[in-house]
This record gives sequence, C-alpha cells and structure tokens, in this order.
Amino acid sequence: MQNKSVTFWLFLTPVLLSLSLVVIVPLLLGVFYSFTNWDGLTFTQFVGFENYIQIFQNDSFINALWFTTKFTIACVILLNITGLGLALLVTRNLKSKNFLRTVFFMPNLIGGLILGFIWQFIFINVFDFVGRMLGQEWLLGWLSNETTGFWGLVILMVWQMAGYIMIIYIAYLESVPQELVEASEIDGATSFQKLRYVIFPLVRPAFTVSMFLTLSNSFKIYDQNLSLTNGGPYDSTQMLAMDIVRTAFESNQMALGEAKAVIFFLIVAAIALTQVYYNKKREVEV
Amino acid sequence: MRSKKRFSKFLTFFSVIAALMLVLAGCGGSGGESKSSDQITIDIMQVKVEFNSQFKELAKIYEKENPGVKINITSVGGGTDYLSQLKTKFASGDEPTIFSLSGPVEVEQFKDKIVDLSETKAAELALEGTLDAVTTEDGQVIGLPYNLEGYGLIYNKNVFEKAGINAEEILTYEDLEKAVKTLNSKKEELGIEAVFALPGKEKWVMSNHLANVYLAPEFNHSVLEAWNSPTVAFEKSDEFKRMLDLQAKYSIQPVLNLDYSQQVEQYFSLESVAMIQQGNWVYPSIYQMDSDFAENSIGMIPIPAEGLEGHLPVGVPNYWAVNSNKDEKTIQAAKDFLDWMYTSETGKDYVLNEFKFIPAYGGYDADQISDPLSKTVYEYSEAGKTIGWVFSGYPVSWEPDTFGPNIQKYLDGKMSWDELIEDSIVSWEKLKK
Repeated sequence: MQNKSVTFWLFLTPVLLSLSLVVIVPLLLGVFYSFTNWDGLTFTQFVGFENYIQIFQNDSFINALWFTTKFTIACVILLNITGLGLALLVTRNLKSKNFLRTVFFMPNLIGGLILGFIWQFIFINVFDFVGRMLGQEWLLGWLSNETTGFWGLVILMVWQMAGYIMIIYIAYLESVPQELVEASEIDGATSFQKLRYVIFPLVRPAFTVSMFLTLSNSFKIYDQNLSLTNGGPYDSTQMLAMDIVRTAFESNQMALGEAKAVIFFLIVAAIALTQVYYNKKREVEV
Repeated sequence: MRSKKRFSKFLTFFSVIAALMLVLAGCGGSGGESKSSDQITIDIMQVKVEFNSQFKELAKIYEKENPGVKINITSVGGGTDYLSQLKTKFASGDEPTIFSLSGPVEVEQFKDKIVDLSETKAAELALEGTLDAVTTEDGQVIGLPYNLEGYGLIYNKNVFEKAGINAEEILTYEDLEKAVKTLNSKKEELGIEAVFALPGKEKWVMSNHLANVYLAPEFNHSVLEAWNSPTVAFEKSDEFKRMLDLQAKYSIQPVLNLDYSQQVEQYFSLESVAMIQQGNWVYPSIYQMDSDFAENSIGMIPIPAEGLEGHLPVGVPNYWAVNSNKDEKTIQAAKDFLDWMYTSETGKDYVLNEFKFIPAYGGYDADQISDPLSKTVYEYSEAGKTIGWVFSGYPVSWEPDTFGPNIQKYLDGKMSWDELIEDSIVSWEKLKK
C-alpha cells in the first residue's frame, strides 16, 4: 500500500508540478496582486478592493463586457444554427459529402490572427468593390463603425467555428438508429416531423455540448478581435480579453489589469462549471 | 477514517510540490555566476528593432577595439512588448546594463535604477532641448537620446508641380486650405483619388502627432511640463479642429477604415494622394515601394499653426539609460560605449550611414544624411525652428483610452467637438489627481 502510493505520486508529479507552476501559482499571484498597487516591478501597498471599485467606475470594462455579451449571444445562436444546418446537409446521401465536410471544417484549421487579416481585406476591399459595382450602399465602409464591426466579428467567428460544431452534430446524427427513422417514415411522418420528433430528441446532448463550447469560445475570443478590428473604431468593438491586455500592457496599470482578469476568470469559471453540471446531468439520463 | 486518509494525501501532494520547487529554485540560483572577473559584460536591451543588425555590427567593432569588453544586444520590438519584457528582466534579477526608455512615463517607473550620465561626452554634445525630458530637478541627466525624429505633411512633388503649387510657400492654414482646394478641384487631371489620406484607425496620428502641434505651446514645448501639469486647456482647440476637419474632409473615405500601411504604402507611395501627415520614419517604406519616387519626388512641410509658422515638430523617440544596480566598472564601461558610439569617428559614421539616424548630437556632417525627409528634419532642428514633442508627457492611458477614441468618435459623428474637448480635459484631470 505504501509502495503503491509512492509510485502513484511519482508518476503524478510531472503533471502536478507543471500545473502548479503555470496555472496555480500564477493564478494565486494574480489574485494577490489585484489587491495591491503592483506596477509590474514592485508594489508598495495593499489597496484592498480599490482596483475592483475602479473597474466599475470606468466605462471601458463595462462596455467591453456588454459588447462581449452581445457578441456571445449572437455567436451562440448563429453558430448552432449554421453548424446543425451544415451537419444535416452533409449527412444526407450526397456524393460530395466527404469533400464538403472537409471544406466546411477547413476554416477551423487556420489561425485566428490570419483569418482576421483575411476577413479584414474582404470586408474593406472586396465588400467595397462589390458594393460600388452593384450600387449597394450597405456594403460600403464595413468595420468603420460599431455595427459593422460587430457583425464583421460575428461573421468571422461563425465562419471559423461552424465547421467544428458541424462535426459534433454529425457524430450524434450518425448515431441515430436508422430503424427509428424508418419506423417514422412508415408511420407517414413528413421530413419536418421526422426532424422535430425523432432526430432532435436523439441529438439533444449535442446541443448541450455545442452550446457551451460556443459560449465559452466566443466569450474568450482575443486574436480575431485583435486582427480584424483591433477594438476600433474608438474602442467600441473591444472585448474583455483585449481590454485586459490593454489595461495591463498598454496603459501599464498592471494591478488594475489583474483585477479585471480575476473578474474575467470568475465569469469564465461560472460558465465552465455550469457546463460540467449540465453534462453530468445528461450522463445520468442517457 | 476516510477523511484522515484524504488529509494525508493532501499533505503528501503539497510536500512533493514544495520539495520540487525548492530543487528548482536551487538550480536557478546557483547557475550563471561563474564569469571571469576581468571580463566586463554589457547587456543591452533596446526597443528599436529596425537597426538591430547594424547595431550588432557596431558592437563587434567595439569589442575588437576593446578586448576586455563583451556586448550582448537584445532587441524587442513594439513599445508594449518591450516594456513588459524589460520589467520581467528586472523582476527576475537578470537586469540589462543599458536599456532604452521612451520618455518621462517610462523614466518615472525606472528612475531609482538609472545612473547620472551628465558627465559623459555625449551628454555635453547633445543638441539643445534633447535632454530636457531626462533631466531631473537636481540637474542629473538620466538618459541619452537615440536620435531625432520629426513629422509634418509629406507631399508628392510631382503632383504639386503639376497643380502649380509651390509647397515651400505654404506657411499658414489659409495657404494650405487654398492649396488643398486647388488640388481637390484638379483631382482627375492630376491622377489622384483624394488630397489626403488620414488614417483614422491609427489614433496616434491624430491624438499624439496632430494634437501635439496645438498643445505644445501651452506646455512651453516641454514634455516635462506636460507630464507635471494637472490639467490641459486646449487653448488652440479651434485650430486643431479645423486642421483635423480639413484632412478628414479631403481624405480617402471612410477615414475610420484607413490604417498606417494603407496611408503610406497603398495611397501615398502609389501616388493616389497628394499629401499625408507622417514623419521621416516612413521613408524606408516608401523607398521599398518605389525607390525613384522616394529619392526624388517627396518633401516635407510643417503643419501650419498660428504663431509657429515654419516650425517642425521634432523630438527624441527613445533614450539610453544605464542601470545603477551594476558595479562601478561595468557602469563606466557602459558609459564609454555610449560615448564611443555617438562621438568617435567610427561611431558617427555608423550612426549616420548605417543606422540612418538623424543625429541628436552636434559635430555631425548634415550633408551625409541621404534621405530627403531626414534632411529636412535635421535642417529645421539645426535652425532651432522646432515644436517640442509633448505627447509623451500625456498622463498614462489618457491617449489610448480617452483622447484617441474621442477623436474617432468625433470623426464618426458620435461626439461633438465640444464634448470631445471637455471629456478629454476631465479625463486628464482625473488621471493627474
């Protein structure tokens, strides 16, 4: 027994060590610094909750939080609709279905930064060109105001992640027993009824998984934000992660940045824990 | 029983981690302290990546001339990355001997760690005004300028000539407005898309550079005065507004979509616009796009401001500082190296011809400056016809968080000019409390 315990810890040590060095210790330090006036080099005093109070006195974090929330809601809805739509499309009896699956998944393999720059070109130059050709006013001046910046980001995110969500739905759709589908056909169900009363209930776990994946991914987005709009114009498309980076490294208010990061952490943790809770519940049911 | 077992597991977990950390810490501490004593090592950490390879060449030459000295150079690009890396270096104890700082905000953070450089030869030869931002109240000089940089309206000589405008004669705002209107009316004939390209995406072009022309007088052109000022008055707010409006109105649209590279490369270098508001640092980019155009067809004129006609904003972007935590001998060696770089013949040759710097020190031959923009900047600064750079004395985070975004809001029609000014003043005062 004693022996087993020693080997047990020995094998676990590398993981525990790296985890504590890169996650636990920095996290604790971060929380600690958020209560001081740390400037990245030294701190001279504890300031209690002053940093946290300051966060809510300044508009930038609140604006970023609001923008991120709006963005997340739009992304979660659109991503799941698009993902499911694509999955339904490529699980039909199409000749090109394998090819299509690859194509739809491809954007997910490109890094967010590069995608941002590609779409920046599309929004600014291609949209402008097409808009002028067809005389469509609404295609001009994309990314130059908050509304187009917002939708630009949503389009980018949906385009990138829809393929990934599609894969999840495909996995569940393919595990739907054919007998059930056939039985419903014999009973005279229309395609919509088949979808609504047979397939959807069976792929419900996929909704939960995709929902939380899209939720936490949209919430934590940074690189796409950086390369597509860089927060502009006038910081109106600045999301939480970007606001934190800017506070800490551009304005050099390290302690304030830490405090914002702690709040950000709490929000993301809340989302993640809810996810775990729901998944657990699901497991019992199935 | 169970909980006891759990607790002991818990304890083992932490003791294992604690033990391993000790081991690691031990490793970190004992390494690296075994250098021979007569060898002096100068570690340099600096922000200007553009001249990294040339700088290293110069260091090699110095090492050859001075056998006992070894120079290590680390260049980290981008202002924000550099500063956080520098802080990490200081926090970890692996401190550089010489490092670069970019004005009073950064100097303030490191001021306990910098030695006085007023005794150096380079400090004596520094051009008037270039040391203002790094001179402390008790007369210590805590930084040596890298070089000079200046900005204004860079114009396309071919287009101006075709339109029959003499750029040298543009001194006042009225002159400029007239020229702009002439250019605008002949757009098709001249083959340009617009007169200006105002990069609305780049806050700094408007809130640092343009605003500086109109804010400098109220701070007596002194960056320190700006840094110490509890408020900002915007005395020349109307002039600032009309200049911004002029550039925005006659620019490629929509301005909020334009960025720096579009402004310089896509529009100016390809001769789609007649003028851009930029500085001598754009020369290499233009040169890369079209070397012939860069060499022969571009010039720079000052941004007009009442009372300051014919004055160009010239300033020092970065300073060298020497770390006071090092021992006497290393500090002296660092000072010698900086002196050598800016005052010896070899060093001067490199500064001018390899680094392509506009020298911030006396005793240089201005004719050797090859590019026309730098030459203009040097001529203005030699003649003393300059406007000080006060924007690096803005309160921390004022420009990126408030002033810059406000200008963008104004350009987008989301904020009136009066609101812009008022909000920016309130924010300055709040930050300086």
